Formats: sequence, structure tokens, C-alpha cells
Amino acid sequence: MGHGHGHHHDEVGIGGSDLPAALDLSTPDDELRPDDRSRRAFLRRAGLLGAGVAAAGALAGAGVGVGAEPAAAHGKDDDHDDKAGNLKWLAGDHHIHTHYSSDAMYRVIDQVQHGRAYGLDWMVITDHGSEAHAKIGVDKVNPEILAAREALKDTLVFQGLEWNIPAAEHGTVFVHPGKNELSVLKQFENDFDSSVKAAGDNTPANEALAISGLNFLADAVKRGKVEQALFFANHPARNGIDSPHEIRGWRDAAPGIAIGMEGAPGHQAGGLSKAKGGAGAARGAYGNSPSANSFPYPLEAYRTWGGFDWFTATVGGLWDSLLAEGKPWWITANSDAHTIFLETAVRGSTDFNELGYYLDPVHGGTVNTTNVDFWPGYYSKTHVGATTDSYKAVMDGLRLGRIWVDHGGLLAGLDVRVRQAGDRSKDGGTPLGGTVSVKKGTPLELVISIDTAVLPNWAEFVPKLARVDVIRGKVTGKPKDKDTFTTPNTRVEKSFEVGSGQKKVSFTYALGRVEESYYVRVRGTDGNRKGPGYLGVSVDAEGPAIDVVGDADPWADLWFYTNPIWVETH
Amino acid sequence: MRAAEHWFVELLGDQRDRVVACTHLLRVPSPHVAFSIALPSGVEVALPPVPDGLTVAAALAREEHLSGQGGRAFAYPGRDALVGVLSVAEILSLSAIERVTVLGGAPATPETLVETRDHVRPLWMARHLTLVTLPHVGGRIAPFEMPEEIPCCSLH
Repeated sequence: MGHGHGHHHDEVGIGGSDLPAALDLSTPDDELRPDDRSRRAFLRRAGLLGAGVAAAGALAGAGVGVGAEPAAAHGKDDDHDDKAGNLKWLAGDHHIHTHYSSDAMYRVIDQVQHGRAYGLDWMVITDHGSEAHAKIGVDKVNPEILAAREALKDTLVFQGLEWNIPAAEHGTVFVHPGKNELSVLKQFENDFDSSVKAAGDNTPANEALAISGLNFLADAVKRGKVEQALFFANHPARNGIDSPHEIRGWRDAAPGIAIGMEGAPGHQAGGLSKAKGGAGAARGAYGNSPSANSFPYPLEAYRTWGGFDWFTATVGGLWDSLLAEGKPWWITANSDAHTIFLETAVRGSTDFNELGYYLDPVHGGTVNTTNVDFWPGYYSKTHVGATTDSYKAVMDGLRLGRIWVDHGGLLAGLDVRVRQAGDRSKDGGTPLGGTVSVKKGTPLELVISIDTAVLPNWAEFVPKLARVDVIRGKVTGKPKDKDTFTTPNTRVEKSFEVGSGQKKVSFTYALGRVEESYYVRVRGTDGNRKGPGYLGVSVDAEGPAIDVVGDADPWADLWFYTNPIWVETH
Repeated sequence: MRAAEHWFVELLGDQRDRVVACTHLLRVPSPHVAFSIALPSGVEVALPPVPDGLTVAAALAREEHLSGQGGRAFAYPGRDALVGVLSVAEILSLSAIERVTVLGGAPATPETLVETRDHVRPLWMARHLTLVTLPHVGGRIAPFEMPEEIPCCSLH
């Protein structure tokens, strides 16, 4: 790829060495001409940089090679708008069900009111794809969402879908609000949902249908039918049916759209023991065994670890094996709220198929202790760094990986950045999801600033953060085997004990002089449950412990995780 | 799949304590579950014929079982005795299970108590009929496999 200087920039013809300067990431930001720099900033904000080659057709005169391999899918931060210090952290949940799902029960306003009360700024309504939903629910939920937006103007409510991914598990799909939000989602579901298309089994044809679905979303964005679309794989390890190559395939088919997976599932109330009045089931509803459609993951994958999915909880595991490729894949944490633990309401009707939904809930009067869910925001939160509180800014923040998650309100606030060692400027440093691009030998440091919990959480206690871990992994590029689900080059590198009684806690960790590309990410815990990780003590000595089915009090085992910051050498 | 196992166990009748019957998760020619059964000499079972197109898969299942490298035993000698809470030593002496492993926890000792949930399904692993367990309440362990799978999107 050559430098683009001197090429005309009105057309975007991508091919070989013909990249315009703004798109050619081998030219750093600070070496661009001012108008190229602002053009690159625009592309980056729109998610069209590098990875978004397919979407670059939105630029004038497009003649885009869709198959082009992105130079650096995550791109670098836009220093002007997206400074680490300028981000508002908005808490949200991208996995919420209503009475338009056959196994759920609530109005949109029920979920949104509760989510808002528990501190959420944004929510995505994701009812299950099904024949009934594709014909009825998808249409009928829309006015409820519009009404909720009207009623609670300070809360962002997206319409989405819990997509039955052909050949795989569930996924959240949602779009930026607009006049076509409904028609795009409806067509997507009718054409690509595996329950509508009878495409659930793990076959090559079904895997291809999933890719086609993501291509449809990319196309809808490219053609301006919706401003943005996003996909996350939900509870990916639960049944072992999201193979590593499928996950890589989704990521590579739609960069900027297929951007990550749930790091922790919902259904977090499920593990409360029967002796203590709970459902006595599996935390996260992760209580299954392999099936014929499962990829041969180890059995450890089928249970949660500290409430998190094994792909994410395992240092050097599947998530790290994806990050080691240098491509973005972000994690989130959501409620998957269907029916709430300790609910006293009941469904307004019992035959879902009669109408394609349940009537509004009514008071029942019996306390339900077999439900396994918490309200959105009650226990799980996905925190997104956004430049403002708008639909676009939330989606941008998600796409850029400005994301950290916590359970039980473990942290009141978090700022993690990588900066040049000794840089004390207020807005210096690169935030979560960003890339630091420096010359070899440059000394860098990781700065972790935590606002500890001061107010009690929704279980009426103030969580106590006990320890923060720094995890670093080498970026080694594409693996030989697309079904790789471990990497040997990631480990917990440093742990900081957290003393009690401080409102603000800050750690600065010297990352050393940059030799080769790597990423760094952070996690922390209340320290109540810990043990050696799946790959052994030299990789993770005090990681999350495997959850006990039937006795997993989620409030007694709290973790936070950040997404990575990349360091690349030039 | 559990329904198919029930049917198979019925088919075995009194013989079920003398054989090892397994399920195998196969992906060729397409995802399906195969059954294999190891019979001691003198025991006969009237099995249905292998369906068309699944001969190779059936051979795979047989090979997995014979070599002790794969297969989940749903019928095996001593299965009906493995109910309630038993020590690892008792499980090993009462049934054909040869060893007990623990995922994500400290290894089991002969004295470790196992909450069987009346549902014990060992696996052929590295030539040994192995019960894989998880840490359970009160220092006990329990089989990895639950008596019921959690169905997806069920009306409930």
C-alpha cells in the first residue's frame, strides 16, 4: 500500500496501492495534510476507516473492493473529538425481552422504566426471532418503543432483535433509529433468522446464511437505509454452538457491525440456592451439556466462571485468541431479562400463539422464586464512553470499543488509558478500544483511575473492590487454524491490591518500552471467589472460579472487565 | 435425545446392567447423535439397523467406544445403584466407573462426597470410564451433566 499523497481524493477507488491518504493507515494521523486528517477523522467517526472498506462506498464515486483486508480494523483515535477526557460514560443493556417473546412477559415501558430507575442510559429491546415475531411482534413492538422514547426522553431505547443466528446461538442485532429501522429489522428477520428459515443446525449452508445476514446489514448501512447497525453474539459458550471459526467469520464479514459478544450472560439470579429462597439453578442459565451441534469445546466452557462466559473469563482463552489477531472484538454484560426473580405480576394471557404476543402483565400476587433474571441495570451494566448522549454516540462508542462492564455496581466510575510514560496532560492518553501507535522503544504507561462505589448497590450493600489485574497479550496476527480458541501469549501480568476507604483509587503501571505490538486490558474483583484459570496458574493464578450450579450468589462474586487498548509499533 | 435414551434403556430391559451403552455426538455427514453398545459375550440385544447414509458415522461411533476415546455412557453396570450421596470410593466400587475428575476445582479423593442427583453419566476418556464433576456445595462434587437440559426459548 503506498502513500496516498498526490492522488485525487474525490473518488474512492480501492485496490492495490491506490488507497487515498485518509484511508491508508500506514500513514499516521500526524503526517496527513489537514484536509486528509479531517477526512480521516470523519471516516473514523463513521466507522468507515480501515475495516469499513465495504461501507466506504458511501463516499462519492465508490468502486469498492469488498474483499479487501483491513489494514487495522480498529483504527486510531480521533484526537479532536474522542479524547479520553471528553467521554461521557453511559450505562446500558443490549439484551432485553418483552411480551413479544414467547418466554418473556413485560411491556417495553416496564423494562425501560426499571432500567432507567437502576441507572441505565440506553437499552436495546431484543425479542426472539420467530415466525410469529417476524410477522407480528416486530411491527407491534415498534409503537411501544416510540411511546417509551416519548415518555422517558432522557433514555435511549433502540429496537433490536435477538437473532437466531443460523448454525449458531443467539445474537443481538440493532439499528440506529430512523424511518427504516422497522423495515430493515423486519426484512432481516424474515430472511435470516434460523427459526424462520429452519436453519438452526450446524451445517455449512446455515453458516453461510448467517454471513449473508451480516452482509445484508452492512449493505443496509452502506445504502443509507439505516445509519448504523450492530451485532453482538449473546451467551456464546452456553451450548458450545458458536465455533471459533464462525465467530471469526462474523467479525471478518462485517467489521464495524459484528463487533463483539457478551462477556457475561444475563440470568444472573439463576444460581441463588433453593435453601436461600432462590431458583437453585445454574448461574447465567449455563447448565447444559454438549450436543451434536456443539463445537468440541472442553466441558469447562459450559459453565460460568465468576458469572462470566468461559470465552471471556479464561485468560488466554477464546477472547484473547481473537484479540491476539489485532482485530477488535468487544465484550459486554446484559440482563437478558425475560421474567424477573421475585416478580409478583403474571402474564395477561397464556397463549402466545393466539396473538403472537402476551397481553400486558397483571398483578398475580404470588412471589415468583423460580424466575432467574434481574431487571436491566439492576446487576449487570455495559458502560459505553460516548461523546454525547445520543443514539449515534452510543453506537459509535460501542463500535470503538469504549466499553467496560461490571456486576453489582462494583465500580462507580472507571477511566483506563495508555499514554506515553510521564505524559501528565489532562486529556492525554488513549482510552479503551483505542490504539496507541508509537515508534519502537517508546516507554508507555497504563493509568487506571477508579471511582470506588460509595452508594449502596441494588442489593443494599456497598461493594468493595479488592484487586485489579492487568492482562497483556501479544498481537501475533492471524492464527493458522480458524478454530483456535486459546493463545499462549496472554497472561495476568500485574495485580494491584485495593485498600479500603478511598473514594478514588489510581494505579499507574509502567508498560515498558514498546518492542512489538500488544494489547492490554484490565479486570477487577471483590476478591470473594478466585482460583487458577483454565490455562493454569502461570497464566492466571487468581481468576474467577467456576460457578456452582444451584449455589451461586451473584452478589457475593463481583467482577469488572474492560475492553483492550492496543499498542502498535511503526 | 433423552427420549431416545429412555427408549433404548427400555429395549435393553434386564440386560442394561450388563452392557455399556453410549451416545456419541457426531458431525458427519451432518450433526446427529449415534448410539453404541458394548455387549459381553452371551448377551444379545435386538438393535434396529443402521440407517442409510450413516454407516461411516456408525463405524466412527463404534471406534470411539472401542478405543475408549469417546462416548457418553447412559447405561452401564451399576448405574441404578448410583443415587443419592455417595463417596468417590463407593462410586468406583459400585459401578463400572473407573475414575472421577473435577472441573475447575481440587481433585477428588476417595472420601470426597458426590451429590449424584440420581443422574450419573460417565464419559469414555483416554480409555477410562470417567465421571466428570464440578464443585458443589459444602465441599462436595456433583456430575457435570444435569438431569435436565435447559431448553432455549421454551414457553414457560
